[in-house]
Formats: sequence, C-alpha cells, structure tokens
Amino acid sequence: MKKAESSHRFAALLDSERWSGITVPILSLLLSLITASILLLILGKNPLVAFLSFLQGSGFVAKSSYGGGAGMLTDFFTFLNVLAPMLLASLGFVVAFRAGLFNIGIAGQMLASGFLATAFIGYSGMSAWAAKPLVILVGAAAGGLLGAFVGFLKYRFNIHEVVSTIMLNYIVSYLTGFFINSKFADPLTRSMKICSNEARLSWTNVQISGMKCSLPLGILLAAIAVVAVKFLFDKTVFGFELRAVGRNPLCARYTGIKVGRRIVAALMLSGILAGLAGVTYYCGYYNTIVPKSLSSMGYDAIAVALLGNSTPIGCIFASILITIFQNGSNYMSSTLGVAKEIASLITGILLLFSSCGGYFRYLAHRKLEEARDKLTAAARAGTETPRNSADGGTKEEK
Amino acid sequence: MEKVLIDGLSFAAPLFIMAMGGIYSEKSGVTNLAVEGFQGFGAFIGALVAVLLMRRMGDGSQAVIYLAMLAACVGGGLYACIHGLLCVKFRANQVISGVVVNILAVALTTFLTSAVNKQLMGGSQSSNKFILGVSNRFTVPGLSRIPVLGALFRDMYPFELIILVIAVVVWYLMYKTRFGMRLRACGENPQAVDAAGGNVDRTRFLAVMISGALSGIGGICYAYSISANFSPNIYMGYGYLAIAAMIFGNWNIPATAAVCLFFGLAKSGGYQLCLSMGLSSNYSDLFMMLPYVLTLLLLTFFSKKNHPPKAAGEAYDAGKR
Amino acid sequence: MEDYIVEMRNITKRFPGVVANDDITIQVRQGEVYALLGENGAGKSTLMSMLFGMYQPDLGEIRIAGKPVRFRSSNDATAHSIGMVHQHFKLVDNYTVAENIVLGVEPMKKAAGFLPCVDMKTANREIAELSKSYGLEVNPTDRIEDLPVSVRQRVEIMKMLYRKAEILIFDEPTAVLTPQEIEFLLKIIDGLRQSGKTIILITHKIEEIRKIADRCAILYRGRLVQVLDVRSTTTQAMANLMVGREVDFNPHKNPADFRGTVLEAEHLVVRNANRFEVVKDVSFRIRSGEIFAIAGVAGNGQVELADAIAGMTHIAGGSVKLCGQDITELPVRARTEAGIAYIPEDRQGMGVFLDFNLGENLALRKYYREPFAKKGILQFRQFETYANDLIERYDIRCGQGRRTPLRSMSGGNQQKAIIAREIEEHAKLVIFVQPTRGLDIGAIENIHRQILAERDRGTAILLVSLELDEIMELADTIGVIYNGELLKVADASTLTSHDVGRYMMGVKES
Repeated sequence: MKKAESSHRFAALLDSERWSGITVPILSLLLSLITASILLLILGKNPLVAFLSFLQGSGFVAKSSYGGGAGMLTDFFTFLNVLAPMLLASLGFVVAFRAGLFNIGIAGQMLASGFLATAFIGYSGMSAWAAKPLVILVGAAAGGLLGAFVGFLKYRFNIHEVVSTIMLNYIVSYLTGFFINSKFADPLTRSMKICSNEARLSWTNVQISGMKCSLPLGILLAAIAVVAVKFLFDKTVFGFELRAVGRNPLCARYTGIKVGRRIVAALMLSGILAGLAGVTYYCGYYNTIVPKSLSSMGYDAIAVALLGNSTPIGCIFASILITIFQNGSNYMSSTLGVAKEIASLITGILLLFSSCGGYFRYLAHRKLEEARDKLTAAARAGTETPRNSADGGTKEEK
Repeated sequence: MEKVLIDGLSFAAPLFIMAMGGIYSEKSGVTNLAVEGFQGFGAFIGALVAVLLMRRMGDGSQAVIYLAMLAACVGGGLYACIHGLLCVKFRANQVISGVVVNILAVALTTFLTSAVNKQLMGGSQSSNKFILGVSNRFTVPGLSRIPVLGALFRDMYPFELIILVIAVVVWYLMYKTRFGMRLRACGENPQAVDAAGGNVDRTRFLAVMISGALSGIGGICYAYSISANFSPNIYMGYGYLAIAAMIFGNWNIPATAAVCLFFGLAKSGGYQLCLSMGLSSNYSDLFMMLPYVLTLLLLTFFSKKNHPPKAAGEAYDAGKR
Repeated sequence: MEDYIVEMRNITKRFPGVVANDDITIQVRQGEVYALLGENGAGKSTLMSMLFGMYQPDLGEIRIAGKPVRFRSSNDATAHSIGMVHQHFKLVDNYTVAENIVLGVEPMKKAAGFLPCVDMKTANREIAELSKSYGLEVNPTDRIEDLPVSVRQRVEIMKMLYRKAEILIFDEPTAVLTPQEIEFLLKIIDGLRQSGKTIILITHKIEEIRKIADRCAILYRGRLVQVLDVRSTTTQAMANLMVGREVDFNPHKNPADFRGTVLEAEHLVVRNANRFEVVKDVSFRIRSGEIFAIAGVAGNGQVELADAIAGMTHIAGGSVKLCGQDITELPVRARTEAGIAYIPEDRQGMGVFLDFNLGENLALRKYYREPFAKKGILQFRQFETYANDLIERYDIRCGQGRRTPLRSMSGGNQQKAIIAREIEEHAKLVIFVQPTRGLDIGAIENIHRQILAERDRGTAILLVSLELDEIMELADTIGVIYNGELLKVADASTLTSHDVGRYMMGVKES
C-alpha cells in the first residue's frame, strides 16, 4: 500500500495544474542527467567529476588554478556574456510558440542582425554613447523585419514557417558569407573584421577584485525582456490575443481577432528578440563573425524554451542550465579528455526528454484516474446508493 | 550544358528518395520534418561501416559503397524509431519532434564521429570527418548516344540507378499493395482503418521507419558524391529541400520526382553559370543560395493550393468518436 | 431457456469520471429488429461499441449464439458476423466506394505472376453484385467525397454485408436523413430482416422504433430500465421511461409579434475553398421577434450561409443588411458590435477556447474594451464579477467557478456558457446552428425555452437545424435549402413535416 501511495503522490505532482510547470521539466532534467551519466560511465569517465567541471568552467565553483589575470569571476562573467543572448533567443522562440508558431530561424535572424550592426555601426567610428544604442536598434530592426517577413509569407501565402525560416537561415548564411568574404574579411583570420569597442555591447578588460572580466550589457537587455514578455502575455489584451491565436486560430477569428495580423506581429516580436540576441552575441563577447557559420545557439534556444516549459521564467532557469553545459564544455573536455561535443549531446538528450513532457503528464493523469476509479468502485461496493450524475449536464455522447 | 544535366540528376536523385521518405511518413499521418536528421544519421552509419570496411578491403573498393548504402538504410530506419516513438506512442507535437530529432542527430553524429576517430587513430587529436572518397561513375552504352538527353545517361553514379529501382518498388508498395492502401487511409481517416480492423499506430510507425530508411540512403549518396566525406557539413538543409519538394509535388510521387529534377537542374545550372561567367569563388556562395531561394519562391505560388493528407499532424486518439 | 443470438450479461463499463454502462443485460433473438432507446448520454453507443469489439467491458460477458466470447478488436467481432454502421461515418473521402468497402479485407491477386497486388477489378464486380441483390443502388467506382450523405450511409451498410455480417448494428442512422430517405432506409432494414439478419437499432427517435422494431430496451443514465414489446406500448410510455419523468410534448409558443425588418439577405453567394459555389443566390429577410429556420439535409450550404452572415466566411456576391446597415464587407468584430450574436455548430472547435478557463471564455465579446480592459491592460476583477453573474443566472455547472478549464466541463455546460455569452450581448440578430446536437432532453428543453424567450424579447433569430422536429416546433418561418438555394420559404403553419421533407430532397415547387 505504501508503494502505491508514494507513486500516487508522485503522479499527483506531475499532473497538478500548479506544479506541473516545474515538476515535469525537473523530471526531464533528471532523466537526461541520468542518461548522460550512463554515457559518461560507458566512456570510462566519472559523471560527478564531469558535472563539477561544467560548473567550474562556468565560474560557479573555483577551479584548481587560473591563467594570467583571470579568476573565478572572469569565468562567471563570461558565463553571463553567453547567457544573455541565449536567454534573449529562447524568449524569442517562446513568444512565437505561445502564438502557435515555430520560429526555427532564430540563428539566421541573429546572424543577419549581428552582421548588419557590425557592418553599419561597428566600423563607423561613432562614440560609445551613440554606437551602443544604435547597435541595439539596428539589431532589433533587422530581426524584426525578418520575422515580419516570415509572418507575412505565412499569412498571405500559407507557407509553413518552419520551412521558410530554415530556408532563410541558409539564405542569410550564404548572403552574409558572400559579403564578408568580398568586403569585410580580415585577411589574417578570414572572418569578419572586428567590431569597434565603442559599438561592442560588452566592456572588456574590466578589473574586478584583481580579475579581468567583461561586463555584458546584454544581460540587462535580457532581464528587461523577460519582464516585458511576461507582462505582455499575462496582463495585456495583445498578449491574450496572441495566446488565443496560438491555441485555436478558428475560435480566435470567431472572437473577432485579426489572426493574420497577430501572426505577423508575433513573428516580428520573436524576430526582434532574436535580433537583440544576435547583437548581444556577435557584437558583444564575440566581436567577429565567421562567414557561413550559423551559431548553434539559435537551435539550442529551442531546447531552452521547451525545457523551460515555454514560459519566460522557465527560460531563465533553463538557459542558465544549458549555458552551464555549453560554457563549461571546454574546461570539462580538457579535464576529462572527452570530446566537447558531449555538451551538445547532453543538450540534445535534454531536448528529447523535454518533448516527452506532455507524455509524462498524460501518464500521471491516467494513473490518477485509475486510482480514483478504484476508489469509487470500492465505495460503491460498500454502499448500495444508486448512482446519479453529479451535475446537471450528462456526459455528452456524440 | 551536359554537365548541367549530369550534375543535376546526381543531385536530384538522393533528394528524390528523401522526398519519398517524407511522403511515406506524411501520407500515413505523421508530419515529418525530421528527414534532415534521418539522412544525417543514416549517412553516419553508412560512413562508419565504410570506414571500417575500407580498412579491410582497401580504399578503392567499390563494393564498400553498396554495403555503406545498405548500412545507411538500416541506420536511418533505426534512428527514425525515435521520431516514430515520440509521435505515435508519446503523442508529442510532431513538428517539435521533427526539430528535436534533427538537433539530436547533429549532436549525436558529431560526437560519435569524433569518438570513433579517436579510437581508430589513437592519440588525443581527432577529427570529426570520415573520409570516404567519391563513387565511380559509369555510362550507359546505347542510350548515352542520344543527342542532348543522352547526357542524362552519361557519367552516372550507380546509386542513381539504385534509387530509380527503389522508387519503383516504393511506388508499387504505396499504391498497389494492401499495406499501401491502409497506410494512405491512415493519413486520411484513421478511424476508418481502426474500424476495419487495421492497427493505425503500427502502420504509422512502420511508415516513419521506412521514411528513415529511404532518407538514410539519400544521405549516404550525398556523402559519396558531393562531399566525399562524412562531416557535420552533411546537414546542408537538403532534407528540408526534400520536404519542400514533397509539398510542391502535392504528396504525389511522380510530381515530386519532377520537382526534384527541377531543383537539381537549377542548382547545377546556377553553378555552371557562375563558372562560365568567370566570377571569383566568392560568388559561388550566391549560387549555392539558389535552391533555397527557389524553394521560397515556388512555395509562395504553391502553398495555397496544397492538399496535405487530412489526418496528418495529429496523433490518433482511439477514444475520440 | 430461449436461444438468443446475442447476449450481453451484466455489462459494466467505466470511463474517467462516468459509469457509461451499469450492470446491463440484454438478450436479442435471431431475426428480430431490436431497438436500444435512450437519450443522448444514456450509454447506448458505448454498449454496442463493446459488442463490436471497440472497447472491452470492465465487468460482465458477451455471448454469441450461446458461446461466451471476448472481442479484442473489431476484427474479432467481424469474424463472428457482427457489423456496425456508425453514427459518424468512417469513410476515406478520396477513396472510391469499393476501396472503402474492401479496406481491411482486400481481395488480392498476383501481378506479373508473383507480385502481391490489390485486385480492385474483382472488388468492383463483387460490390456491384452485392448492391444489386440488396437494392442499395450504389456505384462502386464513385468517390466518397462526391456522394451525398444518404448514399454514404449505404456504403457503410455494404461494408457490413461484404463481410457477411449476420448481426447488424445501426447507430443513430436517421440523424442525417430526410423523411423520405428515412423511409427508404427502413425499407432496407425490413428487407435485411426478411433475409434472416438480426438488426440492433440504436436511436432516440421513438417514431422510427414504432415503424420497424419488434422489441425495445430502454436505457437511462447507464442503466437498463425495461425491455418492452413495441407494438403493445404507447409512444408516451416509451418517452417517459426514456427520460425518467413525464414528458411534455407541447411547446409553449406565444403568438407572433413581428416588428420591423432586422436582417435582409439579397442574392447571397458564398464559395468554398475550391471556389465552388455552396450558396447560390439566397435571399430572405428576418423580422424582429421572428424565428426563421433553415431546414435541409447536412451539406447543402446552410452552415456556410450562417458563417457568411456572421462574418466567418467571405461573401462572394450579394449583400446582407442589418437594420438597414450594409454589413457585407464588415469584419467579424464589427458585426458583433453592430448586433449579431453567433452560436456555431462546432462548439469545441469554434465556439470556445478549450484551453482557457470559463471566465476568459465568457468574456470573449468584451475583453478588449472598458471595463474589461483599460489602455490595453486586462482588468481581471471585472472578468470575475461578470463570470460569477453569468454562472449564477444561466446555471452553468463548473467545478472551480470562473477558473474552471473549459475542457473539463461537459458538452451541455459548454453550450450553456456559449449561449450565455452570446445572449448577454442583447444582439439584434442571434444565429443558432444545431444548438441542441448531442444534448439530453432536459438541456434541449432549456435551450428551446431560451430561444423562445429571446424571440419574445424582440430579437430576430436565424435557426439552422438538421432536426426536423426542432424546426417544426420552434419556427415562425421556414426556408428549405437544397444545393445552396432556398427552394421554399413559407410560414411554418402552412407546411407539414412531410412537405418540408420533400423540399429537402430537392423537389421544386410545381
């Protein structure tokens, strides 16, 4: 009886309206960590050491030794530098997803905005007071325009946004690659000439407690974005309509909502966030662009969003988690001697389990139903009261 | 001009077999955006087998290629089980599942390639490529003498013929056998199949596996023709192109073949144009863009009219009446 | 001990939250027409679904010709010569009649001597013969999507006959037919009985039971009430047993009091996705305090007409005026603000957001303006007061008040919520499409009362319904739609249901 009780409570936690938003992702996380541990064990490595080195690489735990001028804070601020674009990108995915749309083109939107901001502002020699806000503006505009374009294609021509965003990813990649190689290439590094420090969204080489750090402006942007997105969806008419379109476009139309316009707006907003992620990424910690390479962050942001249950707050926790993996992978691979791709593998496994989240909930729900039925059957066997429907409307038989 | 036809066909054939994989899955009712991941993983398994075999049979052996194709087919089919499980058993959102499968494929194959290379070559350095070499070409004796069109039969890769044979088999399976009839019904009205005693979930799962097997073949063919290796560059987005071809072809096999041929000719035509104009190698990037731009353009004209299978995209719920 | 061909003993079946069948025992003799009578939700379909192998009973056993059986799938049932014609047809639209019938039992041949191939030629031949021998008039090579509903039903019947079924179950077969088609179907059933088949008829229509059935089992809320001989029981008795109380057959309709014209439709044309005209040149008007009912077989354009007037579909030709104002080009929200309320046929797909809660759903017409929203920001307290008010006045049963997720509410209560929301708009025109589909008698009576109350308040009402009884009971004016045209518009008192049935079949005025 005890075993049934505890599994019953476990199921209740998974299925409950209030807690499932947290419990289901935690379950996915645990399952992924266990799978990753098994994988590491097969490779002959200690999983606990591996997870510790992830944390060390991201500046949460001290390493045994540090290179010149660096310290734990350096790593931590580097972590924040990578966190900011990840958070913004995942918010971008969430905004589109809540409206029922899949923006797989975040990587391309990031690249386009980073490229345009570098090309127009990064070489312009403007002062920091002018350059930095303009970079943000150009980034948002570039991403927003691309997003709106995808939305327009869907609204007007019924083109599925997954296919169009992926096509655009490749188109942007080749187009920017072409321009970089023709005009903006640094002869030594073969990548884009570096963005000026005035235009960069990170202050590098700042001394804090004797350690060399780079302070990301992007993290502020990300924080503001989280609050704004949450407010938008929870409290505004516009957010309500976006959610409505995402849940049931037919009923949304019946309600009088202009579905097409909302779709374009949602993708534009998603693009703006992706654009901000782009400038934070390419004109921030990294100040150059390698031609024809799309950042994996654009796709990992999808993992973050799904793991975070597609909510703004969830994105915070999920992006912290995944950035720890991504950032710490270099240190982990050098300590343990495992290929650093294991970080993206863990991310992939995490994604796999997160997408099963719905199924976990469904199983839990079924289990509770069965338990409830057993109880009612036992109760009925005990008493002989005739069975009445509890409410006035009988169950509909189609 | 000849080169356009030859290269076009060699690009179109693997694209077509991937598109057929997509058709199988979608016609059974499972939205399939995972073709990209299927072809990548299938190519990985094929390349792995090839590399292992080449150590024994020597680098120049062509038999390795056929064995690699077989391995890729099996590998793709097995990997597709993930998508099948997620969509059919776990009722996950099929679009998400497709994207997840693709992301996982990249991570998994890159990691495994490095790991395997490390084992094979020893030491701390490892590459994320399997070097394969290029498949031999051959020429059909009589038909290649026909003016203009004869070029289609010249310098063919053997896999193009294999793909043609597979295409006929696949078409027959879909339209003339019992299995195919039930598969198509699953995509239109799974309730009807259930009431007739068929097993909807099992049929759909098999369809997804077939789609994985076909895509895997496409992937290894690209590895052997375009890249001459297996690397993360196998994920060029051609899987998505195949899906776009399927949409234009309105989920119909002969029409999709025509679209794939068109894509192939456009790509090789653009490249030859670039060469003949004597532009610098930078400009080849612009021409690489051509298939994707074309896809977008054609989608604007054709998406409004397309008729996807009615029941595609939703997990089958036996309880709903 | 009599020999029964079908026995279902002490059957109990539970679904999450409800006991669909509670210790039911029925015994059917060979060669009889046995009816299962009960209102919607009584458990008739569930019981027969178990006989057809689609579910397994939780308790009890099934015996065929005296032998206990366990059906794990509909294949098992078919192997025991049981067939079922479902209420919602299970047909593949883009397949032919023959392909649909043989699906699952396809005749095979060997192409080129060794390749397995489906033999459609043999199939077509066999089906043509079968159709002829039972007088069903079905062509094997027609595509389902081109066929009218009554023919599709005959395809479903042929599915059973092709598999040599001896026990045939019909689930609410007359719901989608005109009176004349019903006559034809009853003749077919009679013919099947004479060939020695056993028929089980699930229905809530007492009149049809009287015409064709031998015995009748009455179910009420999952339990068996009584099994009676049809010929020796009155209609009133059956109705009372079905509903559990005395049933009042009289609608209490006040005399007509029509004021000015509210809705004027002139030469309306509506096209479907394939650019095919589903509504061709329809003109009518509705006055204040008038119930204008559109009768017709499903699929003749009535739903598209209602959608077009509500603004959900584009009007390709003609015009619509509301109290003199031309609304033809107005978007949905402008129309609702001008005074149109719409209760759609597709409740769960169009009428509500299943994933939102009751409070949000009740406020769908108001959320964007004061006092529900100020400067674009939602005022949740207002949602709460409004929802509580409507829940109280319209008796909407919900577990958690305004926070109840709509998905967890019963169909009847979902409909109550939709009607409450739309009626509260105090619109000039209210459109009802199939408002009582699938609901029990109590709910149906309630909705009819609400419709009549609105009529008395001076609202113009457009009623689209497939239930002829409902139309005859409520309508002031009846328009019969056939193939997108209104073949007849007349005062309800001048038409009998037989007349309406004729127009529904396309018989034009002479």
